[in-house]
Amino acid sequence: MKTTALVLLAALLVVPACRRREKIRVQATDEESASLASIVHTADPKTAPQLLKGFHAVEQNAWRWTMAKFAVALRPPKDAARKGAVLTLKFAVPDPVISRLKTVSLSAAVGGTPLSPETYTQAGEFTYTREVDARLLTGEAVNVEFTVDKAIPPGEVDQRELAVIVTSVGFEAK
Amino acid sequence: MIRAAALWLVPVAVCLALYWPGLTVFFQQDDFAWLGLSLGIYSPRDFWRAMFAPMAQGTIRPWSERAFFMGFYRLFGLDPLPFRIWVFLTQFANLALIAAITRRITVSRAAGVWAPLLWISNSVLISVMTWSSGYNQALCAFFLLSAFYCFLRGWYGRQWIAFLLGFGALEINVVYPAIATAYALLLDRPRWKKTLPLWLPSIAFTLLHRSFAPKVAGGPYLMHLDLSIFTTLGKYWLWVLGPIRLENITTPPAWLAPAASTLLTAGLTLWVARCVRRRDWKPLFFLAWFLITLAPVLPLRDHASDYYLTIPSIGLAMLVGQAAWTANRIVSSLLILVYLGFSLPVARTAARWSNIRSHRIERMLAGVARARQLHPDKLILLHGVNDELFYTGILDKPFRLIGVADVYLTPESAERITPKPELGFVTDYVLPQGPTLAGLAQGRIVVYEVGGERLKNITRLYEATSPLQLKAEEPRRVDVGNPLLAYLLGKSWHAREAAYRWMPGRATVRIGGPRTARERLYITGYYPAEQLEKGPVHVRVSVDGQPLPESTVQRGMERFDFDYVLPAALVGKASFEIALEVDRTFTPPGDGRELGLAFGVFEVR
Repeated sequence: MKTTALVLLAALLVVPACRRREKIRVQATDEESASLASIVHTADPKTAPQLLKGFHAVEQNAWRWTMAKFAVALRPPKDAARKGAVLTLKFAVPDPVISRLKTVSLSAAVGGTPLSPETYTQAGEFTYTREVDARLLTGEAVNVEFTVDKAIPPGEVDQRELAVIVTSVGFEAK
Repeated sequence: MIRAAALWLVPVAVCLALYWPGLTVFFQQDDFAWLGLSLGIYSPRDFWRAMFAPMAQGTIRPWSERAFFMGFYRLFGLDPLPFRIWVFLTQFANLALIAAITRRITVSRAAGVWAPLLWISNSVLISVMTWSSGYNQALCAFFLLSAFYCFLRGWYGRQWIAFLLGFGALEINVVYPAIATAYALLLDRPRWKKTLPLWLPSIAFTLLHRSFAPKVAGGPYLMHLDLSIFTTLGKYWLWVLGPIRLENITTPPAWLAPAASTLLTAGLTLWVARCVRRRDWKPLFFLAWFLITLAPVLPLRDHASDYYLTIPSIGLAMLVGQAAWTANRIVSSLLILVYLGFSLPVARTAARWSNIRSHRIERMLAGVARARQLHPDKLILLHGVNDELFYTGILDKPFRLIGVADVYLTPESAERITPKPELGFVTDYVLPQGPTLAGLAQGRIVVYEVGGERLKNITRLYEATSPLQLKAEEPRRVDVGNPLLAYLLGKSWHAREAAYRWMPGRATVRIGGPRTARERLYITGYYPAEQLEKGPVHVRVSVDGQPLPESTVQRGMERFDFDYVLPAALVGKASFEIALEVDRTFTPPGDGRELGLAFGVFEVR
């Protein structure tokens, strides 16, 4: 019995030892060069690095909650430096937000230049669109910052600060 | 014989079925720190230090941590399977010992089957069953159970061997004399004098440990010897019963866990009271096991951890095991049903989660290894690291184990990862903003997004977005071993060596200024022990020409760290210059360089 146990123990340890790994088995990386997008779907992992700040984790493989201030880097569309573009934010104001905060006002700034705000008094899905002047759309990437005037603070319904739910944001060519 | 083997195999089979993901788990958290011990061994002296020098909180666990990790790493490298097999084998031995002890005390074969089954099913074992650093609990349990089994059999010499070896597994081993004495007083009065000599090694170890352990003035390891001990005991009792831990995996109705915990507590209390009325003291001994082995951690009010229940839960398992056999059949069935009904799903789900989490870390390491192959001369930046990956997979510096240096997190990570200064500073792992922008512009950085099935190269995307949010400012943390920060060093510095860089007699460093008057300057470095034998080295530090108090590196301070109050005039400045001067240098034979001190990091925080 003792001999069997010892043989079993030795086998259990020696078999893995036969395939000793000095370091670690390398795993292929995705080297395909991702380029900057003009339209970012917030659930798309390929463009996640363009979500600069204020976005929470992806939920339902479809959308992300944001904080009161959130920002995204977007590539201006072709000819935008000449014709300008349309900024489009597709988002939802959920019931819990409206029932607590009554109204929310959303504003945006492109490269630091503010665009006019809009106020929402009902829960639902919305699209915030604003024309963007061509002179703001030079360069490879443009910083677009959004501000929601009110948000549910951390600890009330969640440990996170919650403002709106965003599905996509981007520039559309004119 | 066959029947006995079959009874022993039942708990083993349950263990394997329940914790199979724990057998195939990868390394996590402290595992990397223990594995890294092997990397610092260049001489027999280094080996003995790695084996026996007191570590964090003065712990010396040569068998369960040092020898376990260093030995298996030496044999099997970063293959976690042999480590896990060894942990499981130790647990199988523990199951056999629990069965034998329970059977001997209760004189019941059924109790001897139920006790190990109930113990291995308890979800508080999740850490030890899925985390190699939890091996100290399994091995300490093995020595405690072995010593106690030998005591029961009257094998006193073997008892002493197991007891003394147990000190090399975990400090909790000091309570063994209390277990033996409690047993003798409650169930075998004539033998209580035999337990008295056992107290001497425990007292000696306690005194020795107190002399090694650093004085704790605050934080989670501060001992609270007050009424909070009872609150902590209550918390542990609820955890070990199990129902409350269902909240770890789901959101049960609010009444469910309290109701189930009350039911279990009331059922056990009534049964124990009935046994005591009949002068059956066995349940009291099992409760004593629980309390005695938990007692050393009860004063740690702010550091309650489920894995501290690994050994105490043996007492509860033996108690419920006896109840299962001797109590009213309806009562015992109900107790076991509630106990297992809550523990099994939590243990199974948590084991799976731990496995999944650990393989995220493995994928990251495997990806970084590939990235280094593809970009041998570039600094690797990781983007998208979340709290979980950072604290379980990066904090304990795993990249050195795969031979990859110069891996940092993107500057944004410092804001996205929740600070836990008691564990470590996120900034130690982050490449500052200014050097990131400079490195990207020079093509010396490659950026990877983590979190997916494999690492994704996002260098191009990051180059485009980083100027929108990063500032070309001087960093407030200068790691002199990082080549991207070399532009902040004066001309006299020598070339970097691993994470260090030597200065000659004098050197300068430029660093970002403090933001508030409370921020200080922290400096870490290294000086060879053999040079310190020749006398101390005095270090003069000045900032923008203003001298700071002189520091001295002396014997026993091979790895030194100093901190200084900064002049108020520096607050708000974009950067300032640190000038360093030592009063003694040396030139190693065959080297030719004049060496003053080797530095690691300068930081303002």
